[in-house]
Amino acid sequence: MDFGSFLTVPEIKVKVVTYRDIFQDKAMIENRFGEEYRDRSAVIKLDPADLKQLSVKKGDTVILKNSFGRVVVRAEESGYETSHRGIAYMPNSPWSNILVSDETGGTGVPKFKDISVTVTSAKGEKVTEPGF
Amino acid sequence: MEKNYHVCTGCGLLCDDIEVESEKNIINKVYTACRVGVAHMKEGKEEAIFRVDNKPVNEETAISEAASILKNAKNPLIFGLGTSTSETHKLAIELARKTNATLDDTSSFCLGSLVEALIHNKIKTCTLDDVRNKADVIIFWGADPSDSHPRHLSKYSYFPRGSEKQRGWEEERTAIAIDIRKSHTAKICGNYFFQIPPGGDTEFIDALIAGLSGKLPKTSYNYPPKKILELANILKGAKFGIVFAGLGLIYSLENLEPLFRLMKALNEKANFHLVPMVGHYNMRGFNENLFAETGYVNSVKFENDIVKHGPEYSIVESLKAKTVDAALIIGSDPLSSLPRSIAKNLFEIPVISMDPCETLTSRNAKVYINTAISGVEAGGTATRMDGTKVSFKPVVETNHPSDEAILKKIMEAL
Repeated sequence: MDFGSFLTVPEIKVKVVTYRDIFQDKAMIENRFGEEYRDRSAVIKLDPADLKQLSVKKGDTVILKNSFGRVVVRAEESGYETSHRGIAYMPNSPWSNILVSDETGGTGVPKFKDISVTVTSAKGEKVTEPGF
Repeated sequence: MEKNYHVCTGCGLLCDDIEVESEKNIINKVYTACRVGVAHMKEGKEEAIFRVDNKPVNEETAISEAASILKNAKNPLIFGLGTSTSETHKLAIELARKTNATLDDTSSFCLGSLVEALIHNKIKTCTLDDVRNKADVIIFWGADPSDSHPRHLSKYSYFPRGSEKQRGWEEERTAIAIDIRKSHTAKICGNYFFQIPPGGDTEFIDALIAGLSGKLPKTSYNYPPKKILELANILKGAKFGIVFAGLGLIYSLENLEPLFRLMKALNEKANFHLVPMVGHYNMRGFNENLFAETGYVNSVKFENDIVKHGPEYSIVESLKAKTVDAALIIGSDPLSSLPRSIAKNLFEIPVISMDPCETLTSRNAKVYINTAISGVEAGGTATRMDGTKVSFKPVVETNHPSDEAILKKIMEAL
């Protein structure tokens, strides 16, 4: 039994892999501060079983948190046939970059595609604005 | 009727078959380009904007403020240039020399090491036209061109008829995706999609090398050896093979040695080439131009005619260590594209942003200069992802100054 299911607000740990999305790229070129870019960027794609464990429905907002930052994004089902519990996907964007570690081992290369976060329901909290 | 084709500078593919309809220097219709390309060609705004401390100023004031920031800095950072022409690169390098600056581009945290290996002839490469005309086995490794370079498969790598591939993808080409998720490109590859766990690339490479020499391929994640042997057999039969290496692959490797091993093993059994999936339209050009001037592809620091190089001079490490005391950002948005924990250090130094569009960086900059869109409103030359040089003229006229013109003026003001 997973410990998370005993908490009042279920929390899971996931590894986030970032990717590129043509529709999001197009929205970014049109307006980086627009609704479409936000809608296509501030998203995390989870395994359906992970969504269920979080008691979160598709389209609900979730809080992603680690020691580098906290963002509220929309949760979606990944749609992949193969199960990928514990691994989630986000389009590469200012939202995902809020969570990227500053640890680089002196290489100059941050781990953009390897982000560890905890996920909890945001209970209706709005998607984070990307500004400072 | 002779047609007037334009080049799209929306990504590293530099598609050269674009037609547009424009009226009064506004592009209304774009033909042939992809979704991203159309948005890029229509990006033009009406009025040029110059700001200092978020207040509108004229061009002269913005340039003089930019010059004074660079003059007063002991170690300014000049960064960006992936979406600038090679002519602009040469000016930026000259400006960096003049101001004893740290100079870097996005390649320091993406594909710079791979472009450097190609410059040093460490890996066999070819052009995208060679791929279209000859390639029979195409590998997309940690790359999803259907999203990142939308016309890659249709113009070059998979679908088109080529001079030696008249029967096309249906009979004469095998497309293979090796990735940690079933991307849009992986879907097109059908049964030739090999899904590996995150970080599993090096092991997969070594298992594949074992498979190529008939040994039992083993991985700690128990990838079915039979599938790896099947893949090895396809690769062995390639008459003209190509590996398109994406960020997914490069970020997963500690260094490029596994990739060198793989290319060597592939070329012992077959004929394989590699092309990096460069995103920005002239990132490879920046690497080549800086290499020609300094012997390095990125992350350099000029100091009284001496050129220092190393990861400590990359944007990431110099912002982390706070070694730079001003920043000139050209056509890039580090406040969006870098980890926020690092990018926030830009708030402690004066930033000059030169960009055709408003970004988080431009909105938070001390000086903002709204430049022409390189390739749409300004012409020049660039290097495509495969190393091919491409020239282009502006598609429409504009009152926005090109980044080349602005750099010239900043240098004069210095």
